[in-house]
Amino acid sequence: MNSLNKFLAAIFITALFFATLRADDNSIKKAENFKLKDYNGKEYQLSDFKDSKAIVIIFIATQCPVSNAYNSRMEKIYEEYKNKGVAFIGINSNKLESVEEVKEHAKKNNLNFVILKDVNNVIADKFKASVTPEVFVLNSEFDVLYHGRIDDSRKEEDVKSEDLRNALNEILQGKKVTKTETKAFGCTIKRVN
Amino acid sequence: MQRNFFLFCFLLIAAGFSFIQSNDVTIEKIDKSKLQKLIKERKGKLLFLNVWATWCEPCREEFPAIVKLANEFKDVDFAGISVDFPEEIDSKIKPFVKSNKVNFPIYVNAFTNDEELINMLNKDWNGAIPATFIYDKSGKLIAFIEGKKSYEEFLKNIERARRK
Repeated sequence: MNSLNKFLAAIFITALFFATLRADDNSIKKAENFKLKDYNGKEYQLSDFKDSKAIVIIFIATQCPVSNAYNSRMEKIYEEYKNKGVAFIGINSNKLESVEEVKEHAKKNNLNFVILKDVNNVIADKFKASVTPEVFVLNSEFDVLYHGRIDDSRKEEDVKSEDLRNALNEILQGKKVTKTETKAFGCTIKRVN
Repeated sequence: MQRNFFLFCFLLIAAGFSFIQSNDVTIEKIDKSKLQKLIKERKGKLLFLNVWATWCEPCREEFPAIVKLANEFKDVDFAGISVDFPEEIDSKIKPFVKSNKVNFPIYVNAFTNDEELINMLNKDWNGAIPATFIYDKSGKLIAFIEGKKSYEEFLKNIERARRK
């Protein structure tokens, strides 16, 4: 290898190193245990779900039209996977959406999975979650196996890629998740200042 | 009598003009090649690009500030991309654009895949809107502004970009 090649290789490796660092900055790789109350005041910890094959955490909202477009899809996925060892947790971190509103919204939209109220968006900050809906799928060690959207279209009839379902199916089959990060337009989580 | 007739005609023409003007809002669909062209063909001006939707409350709230700035900075190109659906142009986008007296081009997202639009604008952006992008005269991204901003905050960013 001549010196130019060595030099180029060094640049390439350095660039790769920084690219990896950048990717690490953007989304979390592992979650920490946390405690939050649901809309009935019952306290849950993430560790309560550690016997699950996968833990789905979805940051949701009561007023965001994108999140609301997914209400029935979220419930369907929950119903489909709850008996397959998948835990499902909704988290509402929006400062303007009260516990009462979250409760009423869940009832009205027939959302039967656990929904926790994240007062002061502490957990949204820990997850670096910024939109609704935004999904994190964890294993029992709380490693993030999938992060992103539920699927690729707000309009159910236009969905081509069911990303959350695909990730869950792969996890349940003991496979590595193929697509670990996806993006979609969503409502910004309204945080406390 | 004749005077009244002329007055009537004048009012009719004026009403006609204002009708034409108020309906003179065209919302074009934007895809990858069109967006690349918009960003690259700068003709010596900066580009202030705002991504918004009618369903996005903070987007609606910050919009008047952007319209005000577009009136004040004639040496900056302003553009908006709505991520509503193209079939909502008449029902949602146009009424919003008209009520805000928007004086710059508004496009509607016609990318085949939303993720492609998000990554094209900024790989570090996860799609939370509103989001604003400022490009320099060569089409290079020089500011990425996440979330709802005030007139003063946008102004600071524009002034900084103009000094660069």
